[in-house]
Amino acid sequence: MPHISFQEVTKNFGKSTVIHGFSAEIDDGEFLVLLGPSGCGKSTMLRVIAGLADMSSGAIEFDGKIINGLEPKERKIAFVFQSYALYPHMSVYDNIAFPLIMDRFKPWYHVPIINSIARRILRNTAEVKSKVEEVAHMLELEPMLTRRPRTLSGGQRQRVAVARALVRDPDLYLLDEPLSNLDAKLRTQMRSEITDLYKKVKKSFIYVTHDQVEAMTMATKMIVMNDGEIRQIGSPEEVYHSPADTFVAKFIGSPPMNIVAVTASGTAAELPNGEKISLGSEAPKTGAVLMGVRPEHVRVVAAKKGVSAVVESVENLGAESILALKFVSQNGDSEEVGSKILAKVGGSSVVRAGDTVGVEFEPSAFRWFDVDSQLAVD
Amino acid sequence: MKNIRKFAAIFTSRLVLIGFVLVAAFPIYWMFNTSLALDSELFGTGQEFLPHLERVGEVPQKLEDVGIFGLLANSAFIATGVTVLSFILAVMAAYGLSRFKFHGKGIFGFVLFSTQMMPEALLVVPLFALFATFGLLNSLTGLVLANTAFSMPVAVFIIKTAIDKIPYEIEESARVDGCSPAGQLGMIVVPLVLPSLAAAAVINFFDGWNEFLFANTFIRQQELWPASVGLAQFMGQYSTPLSTVMAAALLFTLPAIVFFLLVQRQIVSGLTAGAVKG
Repeated sequence: MPHISFQEVTKNFGKSTVIHGFSAEIDDGEFLVLLGPSGCGKSTMLRVIAGLADMSSGAIEFDGKIINGLEPKERKIAFVFQSYALYPHMSVYDNIAFPLIMDRFKPWYHVPIINSIARRILRNTAEVKSKVEEVAHMLELEPMLTRRPRTLSGGQRQRVAVARALVRDPDLYLLDEPLSNLDAKLRTQMRSEITDLYKKVKKSFIYVTHDQVEAMTMATKMIVMNDGEIRQIGSPEEVYHSPADTFVAKFIGSPPMNIVAVTASGTAAELPNGEKISLGSEAPKTGAVLMGVRPEHVRVVAAKKGVSAVVESVENLGAESILALKFVSQNGDSEEVGSKILAKVGGSSVVRAGDTVGVEFEPSAFRWFDVDSQLAVD
Repeated sequence: MKNIRKFAAIFTSRLVLIGFVLVAAFPIYWMFNTSLALDSELFGTGQEFLPHLERVGEVPQKLEDVGIFGLLANSAFIATGVTVLSFILAVMAAYGLSRFKFHGKGIFGFVLFSTQMMPEALLVVPLFALFATFGLLNSLTGLVLANTAFSMPVAVFIIKTAIDKIPYEIEESARVDGCSPAGQLGMIVVPLVLPSLAAAAVINFFDGWNEFLFANTFIRQQELWPASVGLAQFMGQYSTPLSTVMAAALLFTLPAIVFFLLVQRQIVSGLTAGAVKG
């Protein structure tokens, strides 16, 4: 298992730069999730790590050794593609056995006729057979070893792709949005299967996704990316509770963190509607600042208590409800005040759209951001 | 009522199909019929509609007399050579055009396909001079090369279109699995474009088999003639042994039909691949 070090990795496509100076360290046995919106460069980064795309500048080190020019095979990695990339003309057995056959393949086996004979002999060797069967057993693929990929369901194909990665016993597993083609139920099941697999094989995983639920539930470490840049590196808890900037604050969490422009002064802050709230402790900055608060830290109380707000909409999700609230200005006109916040309340909400309610914040849960740089202020 | 309508629709479509088959197959039947007729009947009393099957036994001798088997062997050499050479070159060219970025790729593609815009007759004289320089006149190898130059671009186009449709990830996956570029082509791409390869092979085989113009111009030795040229030479100024010519012509069509039938199942999907989205 390598310790991976990225040093100012940059990737250009023509004149456009898709990855800007990516620098990070990944420890042995880490489950790293590259998280970001579509087009942020996370899949490109994964392809660069795999050696399927060349970097424009920078270096990647595995255990202190620069691997920039190495072929994917020499990097001892396995790659699970978003589309699974199974070989449609081969059976499940042959798909799984293919990397093992390639390990034993000699250049002159490429000669037609010899090629098919050599592959047939190699696929039937005891070592290849036992490895394929072992992995197939682990992933419950034994009944479908003779079937072609087109006859399998999405979940089964996904398992074959994982089996093909697993059979090589690589040092590093790279997974490019492997669950994005599955339905919600299967995705949840496969999520836990991949987590179990990670615990079982005890190797490093780098997993690309734009789904924050996958990231939060699977990662031991997360890198949040946007526009080819790293916005934050940290554990899921750190990223969720202490976002480094407003992008991360809004990207992580569903619904996202509320960002309210306030004027802070000591232990108090003035909201856009002119009302003041007590912060419990001193704000890290005086004057105009952005106040971040998670929807679950917004409490909806009776009108006249807390800050006045009008309920714009109510989304009842069963176990919880999401309320969209708009601050009411002190003269009672909600249209004049721009800030809208979301509140997450337990169970079915008793308030209705149009009701006037009071809003309170959990004092310890504030996160502060600079108005200009949008970066967190501690 | 619904059943009657359905039956009428099926009946009509079958009837139309049978009509087409009859129109297409009649010349072959007439060729067969003529090959069993006597020249005296053909030029005198007239040919009967039903074939004289009792004369089948005489046909092999007639064919041997005109040396058709040697001519067919020459045609087979040209057709096989064109098919094999086109296959090897076209697969590699199509893979390169489909998968690699290089300077002049567009121009290369255009030049390759522009060979199809020129009639073969236009190139007979320059090719004659070229072949004379390289000592390829009076040689079947020369005919293979000339025909490959004309039929390969079609094969490149068909195979490239098929390769374009294979997701890149499959080859990348093979690369991660340790497969060399040659292996990716031979073990992954080629098996996935088999229908298109079959379609291209049929077109190339027919091109080689039907070769006439270059053979008629470049080959002077009678024993090197392909069947197409040989058949044409049967037409005499004063007489034509029509029944023998027809028997030879029938024999000439058979290998092409057999080759087509062998790859028929593949060719249908090859030619229609990409005709509809999804």
